[in-house]
Amino acid sequence: MQKEIDLDLITSYILRSGVYISLFFIVFGTILLFVRNGGLNQTLSSISNFNNMNFNSKFIPLGGIPNGIVTLDGVYYIATGLWVLIFTPISVVFIAIIDFIKDKNRLYVAMSIIVLFNLFFAMLVIPRLT
Amino acid sequence: MTAILYIALRFISIVAGGIAAGTIGSLTGLGGATVLVPVLSLFYGIPIIYATGASLVSTIATSAGSASAYTREKITNVKIGIGLEIATTAGAIVGSLTAVYINNNNYSWLIYIIFGMVLLGSLIPTIQRGKYEEPLPRKADWSTKLFQLAGSYYDQRLKKRISYEGVRWWLAEIIMFFAGVISGLLGIGSGALKVLGMDWAMNLPMKVTTTTSNFMIGITAATGSSIYWYNGYIQVFIAAATALGVLIGSFIGAKILVKITNKNIRWIFFAILSFLGIEMLLRGLQKSTVLNITPLLETVVSILFAVVMIVALYFYTVKGGEKNAKGN
Repeated sequence: MQKEIDLDLITSYILRSGVYISLFFIVFGTILLFVRNGGLNQTLSSISNFNNMNFNSKFIPLGGIPNGIVTLDGVYYIATGLWVLIFTPISVVFIAIIDFIKDKNRLYVAMSIIVLFNLFFAMLVIPRLT
Repeated sequence: MTAILYIALRFISIVAGGIAAGTIGSLTGLGGATVLVPVLSLFYGIPIIYATGASLVSTIATSAGSASAYTREKITNVKIGIGLEIATTAGAIVGSLTAVYINNNNYSWLIYIIFGMVLLGSLIPTIQRGKYEEPLPRKADWSTKLFQLAGSYYDQRLKKRISYEGVRWWLAEIIMFFAGVISGLLGIGSGALKVLGMDWAMNLPMKVTTTTSNFMIGITAATGSSIYWYNGYIQVFIAAATALGVLIGSFIGAKILVKITNKNIRWIFFAILSFLGIEMLLRGLQKSTVLNITPLLETVVSILFAVVMIVALYFYTVKGGEKNAKGN
């Protein structure tokens, strides 16, 4: 029983801190966009123009994030915030797997792995197909 | 300088739209994204695919925020949630890829029409929700034992521990697949369908259903979001503003919800939602060039429809409920 309580608390904690961390990056990134009048070689007015189909997530290489963070690029800060958000619920599945392994609940270990497979299929395989 | 000020105003106005959407979404129980997509596409003129992309990401924020509280209180059934995620994540992949196909082939009017229909269709079960607190007991079936669907939670209000046994796991999986498709296609959490899957199909108590559905929404939306990201449907300027706005809005909504004593206030928001649903439907028909009406007429027709629909539902639900209460 004790063990279950811990994992529920950790899940709750991870979910909340994920949201806070991502909000920090999003807010800071937005401030950077305004202070530096743009980011990723785009002006602020072209970034904020939502009818501009030539600036969106397709043109933000995720590999550029580390460099973007170092050079205080607002676009990369927002992108980091959004990806922290995407990974937040995924990390909960990892915690659940640990719990199922402890309980020797093979069926649910297998089911969690299928869920993770679907997630990573969407992230890693589908982008290469399209 | 004035240009930057103008852009700052644009950002703040999107945040404000997100706050309104998040508040109404949490007051009605439909979720912020269901309100956000029509607001962004109808009133801000944002391309529908950017609107759904921004909503999908914002959905994760609100889901994670409130799921954090519910898992701590141990109402959420993480096991049932993850089991059903197999279907919702698979559905989200199908739904997002359908959205990509629709957008690449200039059928985006279809998204408006489907959105309108889904919004109107989810209103009815959402309005009728909460009539009964505990489900009628049902005989456990083979899936109850195999998939370990029994559980319990402590109800603060009733001050007792409530035990439950889920049934018809396979039926819930089928419904969850469609919930995932809708989520990926329209950028919403599709909580209404998830609730249908757990409340109606699995016979779980409403509290477990809503909190577990909320927990699942994040994982489903994460799957869709990554496909949206690689296809360029996430516009960071809009997504940043809406993630902030919807999160603040759902926080405000949750605070107001506790204080509202007169539940009839919710009907105003249901009316707003049905107005948005019909507007989306008409806008879709307009864009497909099936229908050719002026924006003014579109608005008037939507308002009329919304009023008629909500008045009818009000009498059916509230008055009908009173009659049943007297009969008992």
